Amino acid sequence: MTLNNLTENQSGIIKHINDETLAIQLLAMGFILGEEIKIERIAPLGDPILIASGTNYISIRKSDAQQIEIKAL
Amino acid sequence: MLDRDPKNIILIGNPNTGKSTLFNSLTGLNQKIGNFPGVTVDKKTGSYTYKNNKVNVVDLPGTYSLSPNSEDEKVAKNYVESAHKDDLILVVADATNLKRNLLLYTQIVDQGKQVILVLNMMDLLEQNKQEIDLNKLSKLLNCPVVPINARIEKGVDELKYVIHSFNYKEHSFIDNKYSSNVVDETMLRFNKINQIVNECTTKNGENKAYIFTKKLDNILLHKFYGYLIFLGILFFIFQAIFSWSSYPMDMIENGFMQLGNFVESALPEGMINDLIVNGILAGLGGIVIFVPQIAILFGFITILEDTGYMARVSFLMDKILRQFGLNGKSVIPLLSSTACAIPAIMGARTISNYKERLITIMVAPLISCSARIPVYTILIALIVSEDSYYGIFNIQGLLVMGLYMLGFIAAILSAWVMKLIIKSKQKSTFTLEMPIYRAPRWKNVGFEIFSKVKIFLFDAGKVIIAISIILWVLSSYGPGDKFDQIESKYALELETKIENEGEINALIASEKLEASYAGIIGKTIEPAIKPLGFDWKIGISLVTSFAAREVFVGTMATLYSVGDEDNTKSIREKMMLAKNPETGEKLYTTATTLSLLLFYVFAMQCMATLAIVYRETNSIKWPIIQVVYMGALAYFSSLLVYTIFS
Repeated sequence: MTLNNLTENQSGIIKHINDETLAIQLLAMGFILGEEIKIERIAPLGDPILIASGTNYISIRKSDAQQIEIKAL
Repeated sequence: MLDRDPKNIILIGNPNTGKSTLFNSLTGLNQKIGNFPGVTVDKKTGSYTYKNNKVNVVDLPGTYSLSPNSEDEKVAKNYVESAHKDDLILVVADATNLKRNLLLYTQIVDQGKQVILVLNMMDLLEQNKQEIDLNKLSKLLNCPVVPINARIEKGVDELKYVIHSFNYKEHSFIDNKYSSNVVDETMLRFNKINQIVNECTTKNGENKAYIFTKKLDNILLHKFYGYLIFLGILFFIFQAIFSWSSYPMDMIENGFMQLGNFVESALPEGMINDLIVNGILAGLGGIVIFVPQIAILFGFITILEDTGYMARVSFLMDKILRQFGLNGKSVIPLLSSTACAIPAIMGARTISNYKERLITIMVAPLISCSARIPVYTILIALIVSEDSYYGIFNIQGLLVMGLYMLGFIAAILSAWVMKLIIKSKQKSTFTLEMPIYRAPRWKNVGFEIFSKVKIFLFDAGKVIIAISIILWVLSSYGPGDKFDQIESKYALELETKIENEGEINALIASEKLEASYAGIIGKTIEPAIKPLGFDWKIGISLVTSFAAREVFVGTMATLYSVGDEDNTKSIREKMMLAKNPETGEKLYTTATTLSLLLFYVFAMQCMATLAIVYRETNSIKWPIIQVVYMGALAYFSSLLVYTIFS
């Protein structure tokens, strides 16, 4: 299951990030494998989305959310 | 004797950790302002003196790690990696987000650099009911840890003390640091960081920092109110620029007129007097008057960035801008283009996709910048009076907003065309941190306004003085004995008709101007611009405007001063009185004025911007394309408007 399957306020555990560049970038921004990730908000026009992990609060596009494999909670 | 004092200090850290605030408190006003401050996308340098030792301080763009995703992060990575072993690196970390911030720290330590960890936002830590055992952290990391609160400059003196008594012992954070897989290596670092952070921090309750931010986001990112509020803010800014600044502007205008009269009567009559009053003072006065408007504009832009609101606008706009080949992150360059295209073009470095970055750079100069404000203000005043209102709205303000809108629409459409032409296979992303909302740091806002106004006055001022002098020379002298011929032509009349002396002198001056070198230049290009409703005097100012747009006003002032012996009228009044020599009617008709306004909206008339575009794209091709496409846009839209209105 990937992150884009979740809707607003749903959470999951980050298992793996398929795109390596994206993985390195998200890790450095505090989105660590094995930790919780939550969809905070979806932009008014449906894309991008705001995601949170701990106190890290960032925006990514849905196409990138598709690369993030999660375990639903 | 051991000299432990470092000569160079480098500041690095995640974005939004208050690095630049610390840089400002360390260096005060000892900063090199040449490289346009703002969101730091290039290194900034400054210095301070500690016990008679001068220390250089470099502030790097914010970065999350040493694996860069964009040009600004590359600047930070390359600078740190090539730092000298004696340079001291201050890793500035957000104390409330220790885990993430420590990643960059561990990467730099493993480069074998001398590091001090600076923990900022210690006040927020208390609010969030968290505690950090600093001694333990320092011991576990094997590195000095200094707590500060950069906003109120708490801890800065202690930091200086630590910097100058620091004794470096080489150590590393992880052993097998050159793992081939960056993801694995990063996870290895985080595992160790996790242990350390868990050992040093205690939580005494819920983290409340984000609750306020999330509530505010419910409104500011709302599908309807979000966009409405954004438009409202833009509208407010443009109204403020015009209504708040009118009083100080009147004062400056009067001040310069009186100064000119005083200097004219104080200095002996002659060439020098004429040069200072009609050349330099007239040109400078035309520029200083716009300082209030520029200060207000830069102030607002800084506040929008400082509070965290700009990131929200990017979030709201990403999907829309994507259709036009831009990126949500283009919002920051495009909005700051309303102040100046130069920092905006540099700001495009944060866009990781090359094509989107290039398009942002190419269209940013179409957004009206503060240098156009003087031109717009003076031209609009020729067709609408200052105190005309539509309801509560100042009509001049509305018109200027219309011109800004026009520039914005042109930028978006040009971007769309370029999206179709430029090819790229690189993936487009929009990965942007949403910082928590904070009150603006007024001191930073003050710094920004001060340094931007300083750049405007000194950089533009130098050019304006130089051009004013050149222009004065070009318009006061002509080839051959034409000037003598004009004088002798009127000599007899001057003697016989004493009562008409003023009128005859004005005639002589205008004929001399036409015969001067400047007049010849203007006359040469007149055929090309005549279809747009411009005469040769406007032609001269189009040429000089290429140095900087605001020179237009100075040029007008100089050109129309030649002939105004008493120096009693403002530039606007002189332009109002200007006549078309062929028809004898008013020169600045609605058609000509609108045509000229459109020309300034679209034309690429700024050498400094072209130089930056050349530097950022590393190619002569893009600035040339920019001049051509914007020039064509300007010429044909002016032609269209002049034809319709005349």
